[in-house]
Amino acid sequence: MKERVSKMTRYEVKKVFAKTSSKIAVMLLLFVMGITCFFALDITYVDENGSTREGLAAVSGLKAAQKEWAGCLDEEKIRKVIAENRRIQNTPEALAQDITQKEIAYSWGQGIKEIRNLLNCAYAKGLREYDYYLADSLTEEDAADFYRNRTRLLREWLEGEAKDQFTDEEKEYLIGQYGRMDTPLYYDYMEGWQQLFKFAPTVVMLTMLILGYLVAGIFSNEFAWRSDAVLFSSFYGRNKAVTSKIKAGFCVVTAVYSAVFTIYTGIVLLYLGTDGWNLPIQSSWISWKCFYNITNLQKYLFIIGGGYVGCLFLSFLSMLVSVKTRSAVPAVMVPVLVIFIPSFIANIGSPFVNKIIGLLPDQLLQAGEALNYFNLYSVGGRITGELPVILILYTILTIVILPVLYQTYRRMQIG
Amino acid sequence: MELKLTNLTKEFKDITAVRNISYTMSTGVYGLLGVNGAGKTTLMRMLCTLLKPSGGSITWNGADIFEMDGEYRKILGYLPQDFGFYPDFTVYDYLMYTASIKGLRPVTAKQRIKILLRQVGMEKTAHKKMKKLSGGMKRRVGIAQAMLGNPQILILDEPTAGLDPSERVRFRNLISELADERLVLLSTHIVSDIEYIAGEILLMKAGEIRAAGTSRELIAEMPEQVWSVAAAKEEIDFYMQAYKVSNIKTTRQGAELRIISSDKPAECAVLEEATLEDLFLDYFGERTGEQNDEI
Repeated sequence: MKERVSKMTRYEVKKVFAKTSSKIAVMLLLFVMGITCFFALDITYVDENGSTREGLAAVSGLKAAQKEWAGCLDEEKIRKVIAENRRIQNTPEALAQDITQKEIAYSWGQGIKEIRNLLNCAYAKGLREYDYYLADSLTEEDAADFYRNRTRLLREWLEGEAKDQFTDEEKEYLIGQYGRMDTPLYYDYMEGWQQLFKFAPTVVMLTMLILGYLVAGIFSNEFAWRSDAVLFSSFYGRNKAVTSKIKAGFCVVTAVYSAVFTIYTGIVLLYLGTDGWNLPIQSSWISWKCFYNITNLQKYLFIIGGGYVGCLFLSFLSMLVSVKTRSAVPAVMVPVLVIFIPSFIANIGSPFVNKIIGLLPDQLLQAGEALNYFNLYSVGGRITGELPVILILYTILTIVILPVLYQTYRRMQIG
Repeated sequence: MELKLTNLTKEFKDITAVRNISYTMSTGVYGLLGVNGAGKTTLMRMLCTLLKPSGGSITWNGADIFEMDGEYRKILGYLPQDFGFYPDFTVYDYLMYTASIKGLRPVTAKQRIKILLRQVGMEKTAHKKMKKLSGGMKRRVGIAQAMLGNPQILILDEPTAGLDPSERVRFRNLISELADERLVLLSTHIVSDIEYIAGEILLMKAGEIRAAGTSRELIAEMPEQVWSVAAAKEEIDFYMQAYKVSNIKTTRQGAELRIISSDKPAECAVLEEATLEDLFLDYFGERTGEQNDEI
């Protein structure tokens, strides 16, 4: 029995990939993946002569420069970075008008580039402000306030601009989360992870669009090909054959998604290195304000996991639409609409709308970005961020879609 | 082995496609004859559990076929009128997949496919893609898939539609070969197909079975007679308008007309032996055509 079912599933998968248009879609995915990887690996390093290096030479140059400053970001280290930055900014090369001289000055600061960005965040006038040149105006005496400022800026924001956006419990939760960050942070080279995070939403969304196309026809092509009559008049046509289609959808999503992320992760990390996998995400200025206390690896797992749940949910939703409409065309549009419509609603900008937007499935496709949002939800009396909520919510919704999909398809009448 | 239709009715929004049909079938070949829109396809789709009746019932050996669910479909083979397939599958892959949804174990499926491909003369094209097959070849694959589960009930909807004469003859012979020890119901609007294969003929019109029986019985019960009339050229129009003319054969003097009428149409008219084609014309008038729609 099992053998027959898996055989059916294999043929269902074969139906998907045997189509010329599917082959083109997969080729397109690989092509755009290639371009994305090209951009992700596009690292530059300026040497002591002011010449720009690219490729592996740039990676090793940048790595060596940043490794020189690796270690705990304690007060002493912050003090040294502030001093070094000021020293560089006051050199004749930095003050010169000549581009090459400026590039030479820039080359000296590449080792502390990321810490300099952290300083810009930590000493900003407000939580949501950023001034690229702020670090240049700091003195060594400011070093002591580095971590304190983070919580202070949050408090000021919660009491000012965002005072009506959160309940008192939510405010306490955020401050508590900030307080739970392990200090001092550790600094190290982590370009591999930063580049992975940067291009992951593009990879997930692109994969979703292609998956949407691939799975949209699993059910509805039976109508388009007019093979529905033979299918539904067969012994397993209204039970196991339907299950095998659902399994095929699951297999296609899982296989394509896994392949894409194995290739993407493998290429980027092999090229740029895995250093920094266990560092807190706040070690990078992009996540300095983030209230989730997780490491780079954990963040990446959230991105992969969120993307996978999002792809599964949207794929099965597409399949359901294709069954209801008996056509793959509206089904293909589902991921497109889900990805692009929230960006229009987002412009409204009210806190309530933000909470709703935070629960939309597109957030799963950009889980790395979602980690930076201050969207909080109270679930069973416990306050939590949006990512755990949508991960659980859409896992449940995906499971709920399956029996609906099964029952709707098996009851189809062929007139 | 009994397939029983009791007061079977199928209504769509504003049309009744099948109206109160009661009929019982057992082993043998049944030919469903009717013009386009007579309700043949709708009736067959109900027999294949693809459509649920609006009223009445269909039972197999006393059990409701819709309640039997998979157990009924297990003994069913169906070749739809517009036989669809997976264009990028090879013939072999298509049959292997169909075998799996029909519940055949892979080992059995392989043996069965080998036999059927030989039977339908498709052994050499087993690894050709379905989309590259000719119309006749596709129909042959269609009959092979219908026969995969060695069904007790074989339903063939317009199996010879669109085939050239030699393919049609070949197909008719194939159906006759396969008809042994099972119930075969085939629909067509091509009289000669039914005449050669079917033991029992069901004449369907406007959703109802108007008459049923063997070819000989139906012809014997024909309410009108068939006449041969030698007519001058200028008389042809008159006969065409006044009578049902089943055939016109041009001669030097004018034409020899085959007329269906209860009265003698002319003094010179000669009584002829009726054929199934005459019967078809008698029941369905002038409404003959090449295509069958899907009401």
